Amino acid sequence: MNRPAVLAEDLVKTFGKDIRALDGVSLEVQPGTVLGLLGPNGAGKTTTVDILTTLLLPDSGRAEVAGVDVLRDPAAVRRSIGLAGQYAAVDENLTGAENLTLVGRLNHLPTGESKARARELLIRFELDDAGDRTTKTYSGGMRRRLDLAAALVARPPVLFLDEPTTGLDPRSRIELWSVIEDLVREGTTLLLTTQYLEEADRLADRISVVDHGKVIAEGTSAELKSRLGGAMVEVRLADAEEAARLVEPLSTAGSGPATAEDEFVRVPASDGTGTLAEVVRRLDLEGVKARGLQLREPSLDDVFLSLTGHAAEHEGSPATETAAAGRGRKG
Amino acid sequence: MSTPTLAPTGSATGSGVGWALRDAGAMAGRNLRRLTRQPEQIVFNLVSPIMFVLLFRYVFGGAISGLQGLNYVNYLIPGIAVQTVLFSAGTTGFALADDMQKGFIKRLRSLPMARSAVFGGRVASDTVINAFGLVVLILTGFAVGFRPASFLGLVLAALLLLLFALAVSLGYALIGLTVRSPEAVNAATFPIIFPLTFASSAFVPVQTMPDWLQGFATHQPVSVVINAARSLILGDTATAEQRQILLGGSDTGSLVLQSLAWTLGIGLLFGILCTRRYRRLDR
Repeated sequence: MNRPAVLAEDLVKTFGKDIRALDGVSLEVQPGTVLGLLGPNGAGKTTTVDILTTLLLPDSGRAEVAGVDVLRDPAAVRRSIGLAGQYAAVDENLTGAENLTLVGRLNHLPTGESKARARELLIRFELDDAGDRTTKTYSGGMRRRLDLAAALVARPPVLFLDEPTTGLDPRSRIELWSVIEDLVREGTTLLLTTQYLEEADRLADRISVVDHGKVIAEGTSAELKSRLGGAMVEVRLADAEEAARLVEPLSTAGSGPATAEDEFVRVPASDGTGTLAEVVRRLDLEGVKARGLQLREPSLDDVFLSLTGHAAEHEGSPATETAAAGRGRKG
Repeated sequence: MSTPTLAPTGSATGSGVGWALRDAGAMAGRNLRRLTRQPEQIVFNLVSPIMFVLLFRYVFGGAISGLQGLNYVNYLIPGIAVQTVLFSAGTTGFALADDMQKGFIKRLRSLPMARSAVFGGRVASDTVINAFGLVVLILTGFAVGFRPASFLGLVLAALLLLLFALAVSLGYALIGLTVRSPEAVNAATFPIIFPLTFASSAFVPVQTMPDWLQGFATHQPVSVVINAARSLILGDTATAEQRQILLGGSDTGSLVLQSLAWTLGIGLLFGILCTRRYRRLDR
């Protein structure tokens, strides 16, 4: 195995007295691969990225980025990383080109090269027509693309994207995904945080699931899904009571014991349609009319649910996490 | 561009005075450029001192007493000059809070730039803006009868005010970094700057104020700086009596030293607190 491009060992970070944002986070990203840090709001994703990008000091633990110790030589780390965050940190009163040129100069590129690089990135991210307009006239998707471009100005070998598509409309999100996929194809190492299971599934080689400041599972998307034992038949019944009653008659129908949750009964179905037919037969015998019946592969949602006991919060308000972090950091 | 380039190109190191100055220059350029995109702010910064000059020169001026025979417009302009730079010092904090809130500071902190450049650039650009404001104010003053004793005295007074504004703007920078919301900085500007400028010798001689206010109004730093600037500007056109009563002292040198002491004290205090605050953003 190569030396990891990003390594975190047992990072702990508390804000004030009560908020334990990170409770021992460890992760590693191999060079040229993508790690998806997946978790709900407030799980500790942004705090982890802040520590790895030298913006925040951990209470304990250690971290390396591009082979450099983050705590010992943060200045060297800053020369090897690009960071784009959930806020699209571009200056709204500067044009797209001016924003990129400024970042180039602050990366200590010669002025001429900063300008050339800005042009090149604007063309690449299809912002060249808008490059001389102030960014307050940009759409949300354009701002995120510019923010990403700004993170790439100095051609950093390691890139951190903190919830790059949060708040974007579906079309902008898909556009940004394809840009990120191109980058990864060119060999950039990427650590990506997201609360969208679909996003991690599509972009990441490996996924670390975080919740309450801890990594609770790690593996490829397929590995995480296989933990649930493959496909299952899901029966939707009238109510939770009926579901509970049917667990027993259905439990020998599939490849493992059935489970009930709310008005659903789930039956492991490693042989797929055979189990489906058997479930239908038994429902018939019981004289029960199911409200819904489907055979499905587990999604990352199921993974999340089984790991954390609560569903991933898709549309939870980003404000919650921001407020908590803001409160904590003042202390 | 499809060739992967894995070596970082930002190869130069971020340490050293040369880079710190270059980075501060880049930041100052950015600050000034973004201001040109907000003409309403420029207009506000320039129009309000002009309005104050006209208001006090032509509306209130006739009713202001206790001037010991001094021409009121010559008394007034240094006062409005201090008021102008003090109010615009608030924009330093406003702009920093705005950058914090929008995540721009976060981006800057992830770059291999000199960390001092965020303040260095801010202070440099705000001083340029202040200098510009003073020039407009002085030209307006000339138009309504302001006549300094000497050009040198005027320039020295302007430099004194710019230094004082710089020191005060560090106080606002501290507020900006701490409260992190531009609106909150604005809310903090008014209650601090208002009494300091109006309960001072800026517009009226402190001798016309009630006794309980006179002590504060005479010795607070804004009055000290105004008196020093006034003394430099009036030069030998002011009589010893006018100096004693209106400027709280006859010796220009000692007034200037007192204001430099205040400036240095305020600047050092807030400079240190700001640096600490900025460093502690990573905690």
